[in-house]
Amino acid sequence: MTQNSINNIRNFSIIAHIDHGKSTLADRLLEVTGTIEKRNMQAQVLDTMDLERERGITIKSQAIKMNYAAQDGNNYELNLIDTPGHVDFTYEVSRSLAACEGALLLVDASQGIEAQTLANAYLAMAHNLTIIPIINKIDLPGAEPEMVTEELETTLGIKKEEIIFTSAKEGRGMGEVLEAIVKRIPPPKGNADDKLQALIFDSRFDAYRGVIVYVRVFNGTIKPEMNIEFMGTRKKFEVQEVGSLKIDLVPSDKLTAGEVGYIIAGVKDVKDARVGDTVADANNRAEYPLPGYKPAKPMVFCGFYPVQGEDFKVLKDAIEKLQLNDAALFYEPETSAALGFGFRCGFLGLLHLEIVQERLEREFNLDLIATAPNVIYKVNMKNGKKIYVDNPTKMPSPADYDSIEEPCMKVTIFTPAEYVGNIMEICQNKRGTFLNMEYLDPKRVMLAYELPLAEVIIEFHDLLKSATRGYASMDYEIIGYQVSDLVKLDILINSEPVDALSCIIHREKAHYIGRALAKKLKKTIPRHMFQVPIQASIGSKVVAREDISAMKKNVLQKCYGGDVSRKKKLLQKQKAGKKRMKRVGRVDVPQEAFLAVLQIEK
Amino acid sequence: MNPLSLYIHIPFCKQKCNYCDFASYAGKENLIEEYINTVINEIKHLRPTALSTVYIGGGTPSLIAPKYYEKIFKLLSIAPGAELSLEANPGTINQSYLKELKNIGVNRLSLGAQSFNDKHLEILGRIHNAKDIFKSFDDAQAAGFENINLDLIFALPNQTHNDWKEDLKQALSLKPQHLSIYNLQVEEGTKFYNIGDKLPRPTEDEEVAMFEYAIDTLKTAGFHHYEISNFAQPGFECKHNVVYWENGNYLGVGASASSHINGNRFDNPKTIEEYIKLTQLQNKVDLLGHKNQPDQKETIFMGLRLLDGLSKEKFKGYEKEVKELIDDGLLEQKDKIKLTHRGLLLANEVFKLFI
Ligand SMILES: Nc1nc2c(ncn2[C@@H]2O[C@H](COP(=O)(O)OP(=O)(O)O)[C@@H](O)[C@H]2O)c(=O)[nH]1
Ligand code: SF4
Repeated sequence: MTQNSINNIRNFSIIAHIDHGKSTLADRLLEVTGTIEKRNMQAQVLDTMDLERERGITIKSQAIKMNYAAQDGNNYELNLIDTPGHVDFTYEVSRSLAACEGALLLVDASQGIEAQTLANAYLAMAHNLTIIPIINKIDLPGAEPEMVTEELETTLGIKKEEIIFTSAKEGRGMGEVLEAIVKRIPPPKGNADDKLQALIFDSRFDAYRGVIVYVRVFNGTIKPEMNIEFMGTRKKFEVQEVGSLKIDLVPSDKLTAGEVGYIIAGVKDVKDARVGDTVADANNRAEYPLPGYKPAKPMVFCGFYPVQGEDFKVLKDAIEKLQLNDAALFYEPETSAALGFGFRCGFLGLLHLEIVQERLEREFNLDLIATAPNVIYKVNMKNGKKIYVDNPTKMPSPADYDSIEEPCMKVTIFTPAEYVGNIMEICQNKRGTFLNMEYLDPKRVMLAYELPLAEVIIEFHDLLKSATRGYASMDYEIIGYQVSDLVKLDILINSEPVDALSCIIHREKAHYIGRALAKKLKKTIPRHMFQVPIQASIGSKVVAREDISAMKKNVLQKCYGGDVSRKKKLLQKQKAGKKRMKRVGRVDVPQEAFLAVLQIEK
Repeated sequence: MNPLSLYIHIPFCKQKCNYCDFASYAGKENLIEEYINTVINEIKHLRPTALSTVYIGGGTPSLIAPKYYEKIFKLLSIAPGAELSLEANPGTINQSYLKELKNIGVNRLSLGAQSFNDKHLEILGRIHNAKDIFKSFDDAQAAGFENINLDLIFALPNQTHNDWKEDLKQALSLKPQHLSIYNLQVEEGTKFYNIGDKLPRPTEDEEVAMFEYAIDTLKTAGFHHYEISNFAQPGFECKHNVVYWENGNYLGVGASASSHINGNRFDNPKTIEEYIKLTQLQNKVDLLGHKNQPDQKETIFMGLRLLDGLSKEKFKGYEKEVKELIDDGLLEQKDKIKLTHRGLLLANEVFKLFI
């Protein structure tokens, strides 16, 4: 047996819905293969970022190599390439899948298949990956493996006999899973002697070592001291180190066709080693790059501004740093009359936005104002031009355009049948168009709607969750632009327009949202020593007004010798609270106010 | 030697009032003896001299027998003409008790009246009624007290503007030399706080009206409004408290008492039990021995409470803030810099700029 033979390599990923047990299963596999000792194991090795662990999702792809002695007497190298489980990260899923020949499709026996899992399974099939269906958590009293089996049959045409039943928690079925990986997933194709072609499926910036490039080698061999070229960016580097991905980076003398590993080559900028690009031998270039994947297109936008103007530089550096490890994050500087200098950022979805914001605040200790997220509008101008608007303030005057188009989604929802009525109501309110409905099994239904993206990014997910007690799951895909009757709603605080609060909304909802927004702002903005009027207007027409009455009294009554320290602290606290607000004209506006539009109950 | 003031805290009360967040405890009378001994011990260590004011506050100092105060006073070196105040609660004192206090040198009495409305007194959780206040006041005068303060609280649950007018009328009918007027504040950890929003409190507008009514009425009655919450017949301003507002030197003894000497602050432990261990005494002596400048921020925010204001020099480095506040009509500058009427109501907004 030759350890390094391409026939003994298996590259796979795991497709699963959040909480269905992907991390637990991965841990068991690492344990059983002795990649990691049981007692050393910090639960769930694959999710390394704290934030991910807290939110229970994997954001960045990562890979890990296991050695497995199979029943056939051979040793195999198994590379598990992790995939993010959330719909916002479909793009990252597709890039992990492109590096694999197979995927474990993991479904919770008590929950059944969820919409995103199904979407990712289709994606894997489209990549011609071998699917190994696994029904997990069979130890649970509420497990219904037969029902889930039926679902897998109807939705994906999976045969009963192919399914492996596991309890990752108890370690049951792990042997079967490993054997199936070896037996069912084909070894990689490719030739170690051909011209080098390696697919970059991820990259990460390391402060000490520069960019670490994660690759799957399809053809050829890559070794230290070799000159490589990234075919897309045409940048050339000399390889310093290659190796495989265990819990740490483990250097080796080469990476050959079929293998998964890392390259360190003195790359300073992640942009030079773009995910999806192909690594070639600079002295013997391959004719064609590997089929990459579509670059991620940001779909949701918002502005980020530092509360303290002088933090702009810190914010700039922070976003740049984050982008090093997050190719999908888009940003460009923008200026707001109300908020000063900041950035317009683009994200794959709302969750992506929230994670980036949280990381900026937490890891870089920034006080941030995020403006309400919006989508990108297509405006058909009177002069025949089409322009794209990613910021409500940049919307041209109605006199200058014929129509506005907004991006629309096809949203697929899986739900227990009893919630169909609730969901239809939500979709109706969100300006949805019914497409179709299908029974997955006697109890579960798939519903499809067409919805404006703008409606989906704002609290749609929360509404869905509460209307179905968390039992529904959804997936979405962009289907294109559609003309819609949209207007721009402006907000004036103390008679000054606050650009950062403008939003684009459907005309029919404009009055209602204007009123609700003014009310909400009245509650959010603290009282000042003068009366603060809040107005919502469409064009020059004021559609709502609320007044924040002036503060008349704020005085500590009793203050003697024993009170000095305490009262000083109290005043300091009041003052600190004020400092975290943004001063707009003469009014201090708290961070939450800029997201008020998200909290309007519809 | 700078003049020095001494505060003695007596943390015992018969029952805890519903709004009270002071260091005061009910049902701990068994600790009185030990507590007083600790106080005596502390005083012996600190050896304060040339005391120009002494203030015995609480809690309810009038729960303690005069013989203890006699013991304490014997240890003190009190300057001639010094102000010696004691807080007393109606319902805990009689004429002979007050006479004894008078005899050992107490010359100013502060009565916790709070309200003259029995219903409101009950809501506050006070142990006395309106009649007790009149009686205590008469007893105090009969015992020879000629400098008496009354504490009053307004903006009580369910209190109307007329109720408040009536309270003030009753208070003035006694012709006290001094009045302290407090807007009820609901502090964390009190019974009122736990009731939360259900407590039927007057609106902010009503509170402002009550406060303004008090200011006008007391001025008309000849009182000098010398501090945000304090009013005195001319010459009867509380000397001890003025030391606090001028951020002067004072020693505090007893549980939770604060000291401020040469710019150093020291707070005693808050509970009786911790205090009587007296473990931090040496620290305190050491700390207060340092030479420091009083904190300018404190000097400003305490000093502006005095309505005569502060001299311009004290605001060094804060010229921008002062100008802003003058422009906003919250401060005014004549010979001194002081709060305007509006600034008085919004004093925290003013103080914040100096913190
Ligand atoms: N009962 C039972 N619980 C499991 C099993 N596998 C995972 N879990 C639990 O399900 C939860 C989610 O698992 P995790 O691996 O974090 O899911 P992930 O979000 O897909 O990575 C955890 O509380 C696990 O302990 C299983 O086979 N049986
Ligand atoms: S009498 Fe004074 S110190 Fe005692 S509980 Fe009542 S308010 Fe508090």
